Amino acid sequence: MTSSNNREALIASLTQDLEPVARVKPAHGVMLIGFATLIAAAASIAGFEFWTGMLTGEASGFFWISNGLLLMVGLASTAALVSNALPRVGSRGDAPEWSALMLGVLPVAAILTLLSVESGHEHAGFFDSALWYWPCAAASLGAGLLVGIAAVLFLRRGAPVSLERSGWLTGLAAGALGTLAYGITCPLDTIGHVGITHIVPVAIAAVIGRLVIPSLIRW
Amino acid sequence: MVADEPTLARLMAATQKGDKAAGNVLLSEVGLWLERYFRRRVPPHSIDDLVQDVLIAFYTKRATWDTSRPFLPWLAAIARYRWVDHLRKVYKHESKELMEDDAVEDSEEEVVLARVSLDRLFGQLPEKQAEVIEMVKIEGLSIREASKKTGQSESLVKVNIHRGLKKLASMVEKAD
Repeated sequence: MTSSNNREALIASLTQDLEPVARVKPAHGVMLIGFATLIAAAASIAGFEFWTGMLTGEASGFFWISNGLLLMVGLASTAALVSNALPRVGSRGDAPEWSALMLGVLPVAAILTLLSVESGHEHAGFFDSALWYWPCAAASLGAGLLVGIAAVLFLRRGAPVSLERSGWLTGLAAGALGTLAYGITCPLDTIGHVGITHIVPVAIAAVIGRLVIPSLIRW
Repeated sequence: MVADEPTLARLMAATQKGDKAAGNVLLSEVGLWLERYFRRRVPPHSIDDLVQDVLIAFYTKRATWDTSRPFLPWLAAIARYRWVDHLRKVYKHESKELMEDDAVEDSEEEVVLARVSLDRLFGQLPEKQAEVIEMVKIEGLSIREASKKTGQSESLVKVNIHRGLKKLASMVEKAD
């Protein structure tokens, strides 16, 4: 059989059962990831209780800044992620990278602040127990897992052509949105805590995403 | 002659709606387009396998084309993805072989990398890497012969081929 005949036979077998398909739309991905974030937030509230401090005015500025930045990173990486799920060539936006860099300012600010406190001989600083309260990081990663699963489900429906970038973006989105979802239950709002303990999970999730996701979404 | 962008886009929109006749015509046209696409990228005897591979991927992922966007860039992205995947497999094979055996045997896959837009890509490799890849992978010299010819040790030849091929695959993958 010639290669031309082979191809014709392949085409005939492919189109034999051709049926209408529902288009994969980036908006579906946004909704799925948004829904997973809400579920993660609900699960966090069920497990740790909603922190009312943000309604009573008790929350510090650091709380709002960190969660606002997490939301921005989550939105930017989700937007890039869902757009990445459809094959395309040409330039791509670098908003997730820049927003992640902006988020990186927080731990730097936290460390500088803590160093200043140390040199001033105050009692908190690096010895502040809230700073090393790592269950927050673990719970954030758990919440991020839900977001990550949603992102992978969407990417598997799509056809990402840049697997490594999709891996990074999934990790970033999962880490940022998961930490945000958990963050509404966390009453610890010092710069040391939100700047380090709530940012480390994003970095960890991004690395895990880069390492694990490509093999899950290869097609 | 391969159909133009508006015709292909119309056929694709009909195919997404389940039109079998349109699907048949579209797949045949896409096959011709892919043949041209791969002609400059892989050896002639590998073209048909890759075309069929991409046709299956194209059919499976047809729901990911957005009717508001051009069709050919979408198709090109799928073709490039499958091509890179093919290169990755070749690279893995090459690496394994370099680690296991001094002699370089002829294989169908080896030739692929050697013909991938080499002139343009080689320009971006360090001279020592390009030199030994060219000798071993294109001219067919053994590692030992390349070592004698370049003055590099056999281990260095292997390392330079290994790193050079990896860099080539990475350059192809990153090129938008």
